[in-house]
Amino acid sequence: MNAPIIDPLQGDFPEVIEEYLEHGVIKCVAFNHRGSLLAAGCADGGCVIWDFETRGIAKEIRDNDCSAAITSVSWSKYGHRLLVSAADKSLTLWDVSTGEKIARTILQQTPLQARLNPGLSSPSLCLACPLSSAPMIVDFDIDCTTLLPVSVPEMPDVLAPPQRSKCPESNPPFSPAAACFNKCGDLVYIGNSKGEILIVDYKSVRVLALVSASGAAPVKNIVFSRNGQYLLTNSHDRTIRIYENLLPAKNVLKSLEDLGKNIDGLDGIEKMKTVGSKCLTLFREFQDSVTKMHWKAPCFSGDGEWVVGGSACKGEHKIYIWDRAGHLVKILEGPKEALIDLAWHPVHPIIVSVSLAGLVYIWAKDYTENWSAFAPDFKELEENEEYVEREDEFDLIPETEKVKVLDVNEDEEVDIDTVEKDAFSDSDMSVEELRYLPAEPIPDTNDQQDNLVESIKLIEGQISASPASEEAGQNGHHASSPQAEEMGETRGKRKRKPSEKAMELQAEKAKPLKGSGKTVRAKNRAAFDQETDDSINGGDDDDDAYY
Amino acid sequence: MPSGGNGTSNGVANANSTGNAGTSGNVPIYKPYRHLKTLEGHTAAISCVKFSNDGNLLASASVDKTMILWSATNYSLIHRYEGHSSGISDLAWSSDSHYTCSASDDCTLRIWDARSPYECLKVLRGHTNFVFCVNFNPPSNLIVSGSFDETIRIWEVKTGKCVRMIKAHSMPISSVHFNRDGSLIVSASHDGSCKIWDAKEGTCLKTLIDDKSPAVSFAKFSPNGKFILVATLDSTLKLSNYATGKFLKVYTGHTNKVFCITSAFSVTNGKYIVSGSEDNCVYLWDLQARNILQRLEGHTDAVISVSCHPVQNEISSSGNHLDKTIRIWKQDA
Repeated sequence: MNAPIIDPLQGDFPEVIEEYLEHGVIKCVAFNHRGSLLAAGCADGGCVIWDFETRGIAKEIRDNDCSAAITSVSWSKYGHRLLVSAADKSLTLWDVSTGEKIARTILQQTPLQARLNPGLSSPSLCLACPLSSAPMIVDFDIDCTTLLPVSVPEMPDVLAPPQRSKCPESNPPFSPAAACFNKCGDLVYIGNSKGEILIVDYKSVRVLALVSASGAAPVKNIVFSRNGQYLLTNSHDRTIRIYENLLPAKNVLKSLEDLGKNIDGLDGIEKMKTVGSKCLTLFREFQDSVTKMHWKAPCFSGDGEWVVGGSACKGEHKIYIWDRAGHLVKILEGPKEALIDLAWHPVHPIIVSVSLAGLVYIWAKDYTENWSAFAPDFKELEENEEYVEREDEFDLIPETEKVKVLDVNEDEEVDIDTVEKDAFSDSDMSVEELRYLPAEPIPDTNDQQDNLVESIKLIEGQISASPASEEAGQNGHHASSPQAEEMGETRGKRKRKPSEKAMELQAEKAKPLKGSGKTVRAKNRAAFDQETDDSINGGDDDDDAYY
Repeated sequence: MPSGGNGTSNGVANANSTGNAGTSGNVPIYKPYRHLKTLEGHTAAISCVKFSNDGNLLASASVDKTMILWSATNYSLIHRYEGHSSGISDLAWSSDSHYTCSASDDCTLRIWDARSPYECLKVLRGHTNFVFCVNFNPPSNLIVSGSFDETIRIWEVKTGKCVRMIKAHSMPISSVHFNRDGSLIVSASHDGSCKIWDAKEGTCLKTLIDDKSPAVSFAKFSPNGKFILVATLDSTLKLSNYATGKFLKVYTGHTNKVFCITSAFSVTNGKYIVSGSEDNCVYLWDLQARNILQRLEGHTDAVISVSCHPVQNEISSSGNHLDKTIRIWKQDA
């Protein structure tokens, strides 16, 4: 919506810490589909949901059965449900609107990451990646857990039957595997300890394709871009790899079966590798060639244009941003606290990062003044142009001709109520989406009502002593007048000051600049609170209590 | 031609149709609005009248310091809100129709509950002069207000905190409005300018009008957020494509030189621009052809505010202090 008048010269990735959020010790964060809500898991087992537009807390969710640290949070596609995994081996599914628990299950291992199926509007199916076990599909409806394969045996004939039980037997220990759903939620992509990517149909628990990676280092993270076109893996060899997804957006299972049938003469693993080469193609590799650091929480930007990764070094809060072509475009440096989680806003150039200390930092673009916004006919030039005067530029125009200029386009048809598809056109419009939690005003306490009287007196005193009072007088206003009718009559009139000189006009134009600069550069919450306190909002401190 | 003459049995109002409506066979024939009911309850000028977004309620704000909640089905008085210590200039509805916010000359805004027990939930304090205009954003978690202190303030609904203050203009601000996704704010001012602001950062993105005269008395986004309807105190309404900065339509014929009269888009049956006027009438224009479709007569003073029902083909209008009534107009079926 802003696109037509946003300054095109500015980049679209974050640059500075704009603010931080604090609520206990935060462990992980996740945006909902539209970026209007931000869910965070705490070290004490609680969950908090921020209204990301107001940066206020919209809801708190707490399970009395769970006091262990939360390891991940995941939203359902339309925002109605939130999946929480915790260090007490539990998975809990919440209804966001009501704050009620839908289902809870205890696994054999602590889930490090859990994701709801992105293809369903009210999913009860999720993917969990435990600490030292294979990824598994958990179905809350039938309380069933299905282990997914993490390797392809050399001899297909001896493939063990898949285990289906509430509490699967522990497998032999191995390195953790990373896994994620594809965009529509009908496939699971698994990165295993050999650096391979397995494409799995979780319903039939079959490996459909296999992609080998150079280096053979274990995969730590695997993430799809929001539009499903790119896949990212983060490996123990300190390399982030970007793959292009060659499968179509719809009917991927059928496409995979067709790919398999079209390959003759191959069997077993070789066939899977051939199919895999038609599903994913290695597109780009990123690593820091100087420090060779490990990466933490890599992901894509909301539009898929940027790749972002956090430094895994202790005591360092650095975020690297590459464009998809492979160029490192930005390194964001924050406070000396390790970075433990990271999320890019679905539609805005905003990054949210979590530090080891439990704070959530919000990174956004640094504001630069857009001078062309201050007059209707201004526009910025990238370089000087020689100005060519029109021959009639300084001719006086008769009054009647001025009116004609305005009428040139008046016959154009105007559509005032058709709304174009937005960035969420992939959403099924028939499904009601939970975009916002209702903002219910917290009623003022009686003390604040009493403060009102004092505040009004103070305000009235200020008015009588300030130049505004004189200005009001010039405009025919008498704020203290007891006559309602006179008040109505005089208040309704809106007369202007006499015209002012050019110098004063210039001074007036500077006012928004100064004000805007001041308000925009609130770098952290403390400064923000200070700024708020400077206004006549003394009684607002009581509002900080939430319940 | 649609027939004129008496619209209702009481014969108070006449609905006269003018212009070319109905002469073209392809254009749907304009059906006139007729006076349905007169609501009395305020004891001073009524500065603002607005239907709720679900269409069930009507709220009116007045210089008599009170706001009245009316049923929009039978137009009975539901509740009178008292609490402001000075006259109220504007009011706004939240998207879910649960709350209203009033802007007052006592330098405060108040958030009221539109459901029983109809309490004042919050008092928003921070402006240093009369608060003249107010609106919710579409998610209704923020409120934007404009004031005689020349600032625009953005408030958080839940806590009542002022989260942003924009020193926007050099004269009192006459109108503020969010676009449909809440990312932009348009403001109009008596300094003769109309500007668009980024709601998130509080920065000026574009200036639509930057003349010293006449004052800009009203500005509002179209329902799809692509156009801005701007009123200036030279009896002119303009529809602008703000992306290009061009004015596409100009609506004239009414009288608007003194008061900040609100206008509205009517989209329930045909596309009209509706506005009050200082000649005591409500004017309706065809959106595309720009001709006057109807003048609704009956008010006995300037018509300060109009509001279109979101579902029914009804218009409400409010009169200045010699009139003190709200009139409901209903389109022929």
